[in-house]
Amino acid sequence: MHRILSPLMIRVLIFLALVTVICAVFQSITPRYLTAANFRGLLSAMAISGIVAMGLTFVIVLRKFDLSLAGIASLSAMTLGFVLSVTGALVPTILACIAIGLLCGVINGALVGYGRLPDVVTTIAVGSIAYGMAFAYNGGADYSDNFFSSGMVTLNFNTIFGIQIPVFLLLITALITGFFLHATRFGQSFYAAGENPRATFYSGISVQNVMIVGFGIAGALVGVAMLIQISGIGSSRVTAGGQILLPAYTSVYLGAALLGRASIPATLAGSLIMTMLLNGFTLLSIPYYYSDAVVSFILIVAIVLFDPKIVQLLKNPRRFFLTNTAG
Amino acid sequence: MIMTKSAYQNSLDGSDRCRAKSLAKKTGAMPNILEMTGIEKHFGPVTALNKVDFHLERGEIHALLGVNGAGKSTLIKILSGIYAADNGRVVIDGEECLLGSPAAAIDQGVAAVQQHPELVGDLTGYENIFLGQEGADKGLFKRIDRIAMRTKAEKLLERFPVEIDLAKKIDDLAAVEKEIIAVLHALKQENVKILILDEPTSTLTRVEKVQLFKMMNLLKNSGVSIIYITHRLEEVFEVADRFTVFRGGRTIATLTAEMAQNEAVSIPQLMLQQEMGELFPPKSRLSEETTPALEAQSLSLAGSFSDIDFQARSGEILGFFGLVGSGIDELAKTLFGALQPDGGNIILRGHTVRLPSPKAALKHGIFLVPGDRRTEGLVLSDDVTFNTTLANLRRASFLGARKFNTNRQTVGDLIEKVELTPPTLNRAASAFSGGNQQKIVIAKGLYSQSDTYIFVEPTVGVDVGARSTLYGLIRELSREAAVIVMSSDCDEVFGLSDRMSALYRGHLVVEPNAEMTRDELLSYGLMGSCN
Repeated sequence: MHRILSPLMIRVLIFLALVTVICAVFQSITPRYLTAANFRGLLSAMAISGIVAMGLTFVIVLRKFDLSLAGIASLSAMTLGFVLSVTGALVPTILACIAIGLLCGVINGALVGYGRLPDVVTTIAVGSIAYGMAFAYNGGADYSDNFFSSGMVTLNFNTIFGIQIPVFLLLITALITGFFLHATRFGQSFYAAGENPRATFYSGISVQNVMIVGFGIAGALVGVAMLIQISGIGSSRVTAGGQILLPAYTSVYLGAALLGRASIPATLAGSLIMTMLLNGFTLLSIPYYYSDAVVSFILIVAIVLFDPKIVQLLKNPRRFFLTNTAG
Repeated sequence: MIMTKSAYQNSLDGSDRCRAKSLAKKTGAMPNILEMTGIEKHFGPVTALNKVDFHLERGEIHALLGVNGAGKSTLIKILSGIYAADNGRVVIDGEECLLGSPAAAIDQGVAAVQQHPELVGDLTGYENIFLGQEGADKGLFKRIDRIAMRTKAEKLLERFPVEIDLAKKIDDLAAVEKEIIAVLHALKQENVKILILDEPTSTLTRVEKVQLFKMMNLLKNSGVSIIYITHRLEEVFEVADRFTVFRGGRTIATLTAEMAQNEAVSIPQLMLQQEMGELFPPKSRLSEETTPALEAQSLSLAGSFSDIDFQARSGEILGFFGLVGSGIDELAKTLFGALQPDGGNIILRGHTVRLPSPKAALKHGIFLVPGDRRTEGLVLSDDVTFNTTLANLRRASFLGARKFNTNRQTVGDLIEKVELTPPTLNRAASAFSGGNQQKIVIAKGLYSQSDTYIFVEPTVGVDVGARSTLYGLIRELSREAAVIVMSSDCDEVFGLSDRMSALYRGHLVVEPNAEMTRDELLSYGLMGSCN
C-alpha cells in the first residue's frame, strides 16, 4: 500500500494548521498580532524558554526529569551578577554564568547516573542547594554594578548579522543541539540510553556518561538563557529562575506530542506555539497569572497526547480496552 | 523424521485419513466440548484465518502447532473473546455462543493463560490467584479476609502434586511456580471447561516442564479440556493427545500424537510450505590445533560458577548446555565484561585481558547475543539501522557525525546476509517477529566486526522455520570467528556444536569434546554426571 503522506508529514501539517489557526484567531481580535514588530518580540520572548527547553530535551530523551533548572537558573544569574560586579568584563561573566550551570547539571548527571539515585528527588535537592547558594552571594540582594559599563544590557537588543542577539543565540543553540542530538553518534546513544539502558550498556556505551552529558547540557543552556534574561532585566536577582520550569516542560511535551517524539525540532515547534499563545494573551492584556494557568493546561494536554497508552487508545479504542482489561 | 514430500502425502491420503475417520466415528459418541466451524478473520487485506474448523474433545490435551503468523494465536484470541470473528460459529458444550468480550468467554468456561502471565510481583501467590476477586463484598472499606483466601488457594493447589509456598512473593518464585500460579488464577472460577495455555514452557527448564505437564494431566483427568500452544515439537509427544497444525491461516491436519509417532509424520514438514532440510547445519572439524581465540582459566564468580576452563577456537562452535540457574547466563555475561569474575583469567589470543565493561569486551572483538533480546539486545522502538549500528558507533560516524548514507548501505547489505524479513531498514525493531529480531542482533554483531561471538539461548521464542535459518547463520559466523553457544536446550547444543560440554550448578562437568552423545550431554546437564 503506497502512502501519499508519511506519518511525519501529517504531523508537520497538523503543526502548520495549528500555527495558522492561532494566527487567525489573534489577528481577528487584535490587528497588532501579525506585524513585523510583534514577530520580533515574539522571537526574543521565545529565546529564553526555547533555549532552556532545548537543554531539557536531552534529559527527556533520556527518560529522566530535571526539576533543578529553576534553582540552577537563580544560581547562574547571581554568579553572573557577582562576576560582573567584581571583574566588570563581559567575557569572564558569560563564561562563569554558563560554567556554573554546566557544573550543576554535571552533578545532577553524576548523582543520577553513577549514584543511581532517583532523578526527580535528586534534581529537586540539587536545585534547592543551588537556590540556597544563590542567596549566599549577596544575602539575597540584587547585583546591578557594571551592567551598563560592560555592555551586559546591550546583549538584549544589539544585533549580530542583523539578528537580535537573543534570537541569534536561539538559532545557534538550535543548530548545535539539533546537530548533536540528531546527526552524531552521541545523539544516537541518547535515544538508545533513554529507551533501553540495558541494551545500550550491552552495546558498549556508558549510560552513566550519557547521563552526565545530558544533564550537563541542560544546566549549561540554563546559563545561556539567563544571559538573555538578566541582560533584559538589567540586574541579577535570586528570583530570576522562578518562571522557567513550566514553559520549558510545556515546550518539550507539546513538541513531542505534535511530532511524535522528543527532539530539537519538536521542542522548537512546541516552544513556538506556546510563545505565540502567550504573546497573544499579552497583546490582549490578559493578566499573567491567567497565562500561567493556560500554559499549565497546555502541558497537561501535551502529556496526555504524548502518553503511548493514550496514543494507542486514540488509534484503536476497542482493542485498547479489550487488551487492557483481559487477564 | 524427514520424509520425502510424496511419502508424506501418501501417508496422509492413505492410511492416516482412514484412521482419522474411524477415530472421528469413535469420538462421535462423545460430543466435543468445543466446535469452531468456518472461522474467518481478516485484518485489513490480511487473512489471518481462512474458514478454519477446530474441534476439541472433552478431556483432551490438544496442541496447536504452526510457525508465527500461521493463525493459531488468532484462533485462541477469538476463543477467549479478545477478537471477534468475521464469520463462523463457536459451539461450546452443545450451545452456540457469542464470544464478544473476554468476560463473555469466561462466562462460557473458557480460561486463558497468556504467554507471559501478568502477575503482581510484590503480592504473594495466593493474593495473585484471587487478584480481582478478593472477596464477595466489594465495599471500599471491607477488610480482605486473607486467611480465608489463603485456605481457599491452598485447597486449589492441593489437587496438584506440587509444593509451592503460596505466602511467598511472586518475585521470589521460580518460573514454573509462577506459571502454575497463573494457571490457578485462571482456574479460580468454578466452571472452567476449556483451559488455554499459550506457550507456557518457553521459560521453563526440562525438570520444570515435567512438573507443569503433570499438572496438565491431572487437570485433564478432572475433565478440563486443554488447548496448548507451543513451539517445541518434542513436547507434543510428551503431553498432548492430539495436535492440529496451522499453516497460512488454515488448519493443515489434526492427528493424534500416537499416530504421528507411529507413522513418523514430519511435523516440521507439515508446518512449513516447503520441504525442510536438516534443522542443523553440518558440523565442522578442525584438523590442526589453532591458537584459541578465547580462553578461560579457572574463571570463578561467587554464587554462580567456579573453576571454568575452556578454549574457544576460530572456525568452530563451542556449546555449553546448562539449565536456568546453572551459571551459563552469568558465565556469558562475565566473558562479555558485564559481570566481574572473582578469580581466574580470560585470555584473548594468548594475552590475559581484563574486561571491566561490555565496552572493553567489544573493543577486544567479543560480541554477546544476549538471551533476552527484547530487554538486552535491542532498542525496540528504534529502527533496524539504529539498532544494527549501535554496538559500533565509531564505525557508523566520521568525527562524530553519523554517516547516514554509508550506514544505510552497509546495514542493507548485512540484513540481506542475515535474510531479515521484511528487509526494511526504517522499520521499528518491535515490529519484527522473534526470529527476525534475533537476526537484527546478529547483524549488529556483524556490524561490530567482532571475532568472538557468544550466543545465549539463541532460539528462545523463535519458530521452527526461522530456527534453522538462525542455526545456518551461526554456522556461517563460525567460519571466520570463534562461536560459543550457551543454551538450556540440549538438542540445540548437541545439534549445533562441534565441541560441547555441560554446566551443572556452576561447574563445567567435563572438558568440552566432540565425542559426546546426546544422552550423555543431557545427563551431564541435568544431574552433573553420567552413568
